[in-house]
Amino acid sequence: MRVLLLEDDRELCRTLRDALTMEGYAVLTAASLAEANALLAHAREPLDLVLLDLGLPDGDGEQLLATLRRRESLPVLVLSARQAEGQKIRLLDAGADDYLVKPFGVAELLARMRVALRRRGTRVSAALTDYRRAAVHIDLHAQRVWRDGAPVHLTPTEFALLARLVRQAGQVVTHRQLLRDVWGAEFTEHTHYLRLYMGQLRAKLEDEPAEPRLLLTEPGVGYRLAEPDEDPGPLMPS
Amino acid sequence: MDSLDVSRGESRWRDAWPAVPTWCAGALALAALDGRVDLANLAMLLVLASALASLWLPAWAGAASGALAVLAFNWFLVPPRGTFAVDLRQHALLLVAMLVVNAIVATLMGNLRRQARSARRHAQRAEQLRAWGETLRDAEDPLAHAGSLQQLLSAASGDAVALLVLRDALPETPDEAAVLRVGTPDGDQAVGLWHCLRQGEPLGPGTGRHAGQPDWYLPMRGRGACLGAAVLRGHGLRPDDVLREHLQALCDQMGGALQRVRSQREEHRARELAQSQTLRNALLAAISHDYRTPLATIMGAASSLEAQGARMDAAQRERLARSIVEEATRLARMTDNTLQLARLDAPGVALRCDWESAEEIVGAVLAHARRQDAARRVRARLEPDLPLLWCDALLIAQLLDNLVDNALKYSPADAPVEMLVRREGERIVLAVRDRGPGVAPAWRERIFEVFQRGEETVQRRGAGVGLAVCRAIARAHGGELRLRPRSRGGASFECVLPLREPPAPPPGTEAAA
Repeated sequence: MRVLLLEDDRELCRTLRDALTMEGYAVLTAASLAEANALLAHAREPLDLVLLDLGLPDGDGEQLLATLRRRESLPVLVLSARQAEGQKIRLLDAGADDYLVKPFGVAELLARMRVALRRRGTRVSAALTDYRRAAVHIDLHAQRVWRDGAPVHLTPTEFALLARLVRQAGQVVTHRQLLRDVWGAEFTEHTHYLRLYMGQLRAKLEDEPAEPRLLLTEPGVGYRLAEPDEDPGPLMPS
Repeated sequence: MDSLDVSRGESRWRDAWPAVPTWCAGALALAALDGRVDLANLAMLLVLASALASLWLPAWAGAASGALAVLAFNWFLVPPRGTFAVDLRQHALLLVAMLVVNAIVATLMGNLRRQARSARRHAQRAEQLRAWGETLRDAEDPLAHAGSLQQLLSAASGDAVALLVLRDALPETPDEAAVLRVGTPDGDQAVGLWHCLRQGEPLGPGTGRHAGQPDWYLPMRGRGACLGAAVLRGHGLRPDDVLREHLQALCDQMGGALQRVRSQREEHRARELAQSQTLRNALLAAISHDYRTPLATIMGAASSLEAQGARMDAAQRERLARSIVEEATRLARMTDNTLQLARLDAPGVALRCDWESAEEIVGAVLAHARRQDAARRVRARLEPDLPLLWCDALLIAQLLDNLVDNALKYSPADAPVEMLVRREGERIVLAVRDRGPGVAPAWRERIFEVFQRGEETVQRRGAGVGLAVCRAIARAHGGELRLRPRSRGGASFECVLPLREPPAPPPGTEAAA
């Protein structure tokens, strides 16, 4: 697995590179967008994942993201400082896969990378259509949901929302993305629709809606459906 | 009083009317007594009437009317009657004496009256200055009295008056926003006003500066600064130095008052600056102090890993690594809080508000607390059917996160910590409650201040900026954060947020399904 790490702080860059190398990843590092562009242009082998730090000396990475999205479905994880809220959300809306707020732990980073890589695998082959976690089973093909083996009745909108989250299970989906994909582009400001329907979904699927295990909230950003139990994706680093 | 100074021309004649009946009465008396008393006595009667008339007439008019009366006396009463011919031996002396006495009486009376008038005017001007001074002395904002000054000047001079009063410092170039303008000066006058304001000297006829101008420009002078200017339209054409000095005194009183308020304001500003400087220094000192503890732990653990790591067993290494991670997390939280406090403190801070569900925010905070301390019993209780909140979810999450962290830190390890959300009329209450030692009454308000904390040994609540940022977040949302002691021990921190009219629900009926 080849990873491009875009980070201008030398210490952090070295620490992350060592940690990732220890996990078996081949790590390329760049300290600026220009350097990253050069690396991408001349890379002999294709990359599998990009870790993109916001606040690079020569830009915020939006353009790089657009380039990457045009070229291939290369997963991009955004590493951001807490204050860069708006920028982070813009990148997620523009198609970045997930984000981590600095300072983050290596375990957290590895977990996010694993989800992103698995999703890339499914994007190439078949998308995840059968989601199981704890007592909940969601079958997108059959459009059925079970909890503790008993069928759960969902309204069409509830199901559409849930299905959208299943397709990106384990990753954050922004409010805007959810509203656009479930209700339509003209509803992207109607965040209160999401609050209502997520509340309904939690009431139907969670044991303790105030402490969800499945339908997780990322305040100010969006929602994340917890990773499914089984881990079918190709996980072995090359 | 105000109209006094205008009474230079017409009203003097208005006041003179009693002279006419006096002369008439004199003439009648002369006609009646003619032939009964001798000519010398009649002459005394005429002198008396003339003196009386002079009481009301201006000096020259008194003298003139007296002269006319003597001529008439000569014509009607002095033999040979019906001619101006005079018997030089008999009557010439009488007539000349009458003329001279009349003239002297008229002049004396006129002077006396002029002096009295001037004394009265002085007294009234002095009273005017005193009353104006009184008005300004108690004025919070002398600018509000600019209209009164215009009226005063206008009444005292009888001219149209326009003012320019500085609001704050004198701008580099004429700037209408920097001044209060009263009245409507024309273009030349506006330029003149700015010139006068800048020079701080009176301009116009009699002042020795720009004497060709038809108008008077009077500065409002404070100590070493000019804070305004007035123009008296056309008054320079009738120069009157005494009046100008009076008007100047009125203007200078205004200048003095403006200066007083300005120096008060500057003093206040300087004091505030000094205070915020002190606060900032205290803040920095306290931040450095607070950062030192986790930094010391990290330094200790990391350096011992570096120096002795090879000789340690796996468990020891893991323990050190964990304490580094924990203290780094603490540092991160402190940094978040400090940054947020600075951001919320800045003027015009923009919140990223949206419709948020209390359940979701509480859920996120709970998940975070579990990650930090899985063993602790943090519970959440939410009233059913809570309305949506219009708030910045990240900030409210930060607020609750800080409160939960505090509650966990300051209560026994086995004591429960609760998050409670309920509706209270048009407000929503987010409470974090613990069963710790509570907060001593003396500290209940102070713990919300930046870098206040209870006595180190007894109380360690509210350390650093944590509670200060919580309160700042609540207030930025138009709400409040308060502390309530619990009846059976412990503290309840309650964030009260106002509710807004909820948005329209999504169309369709499936929401009820």
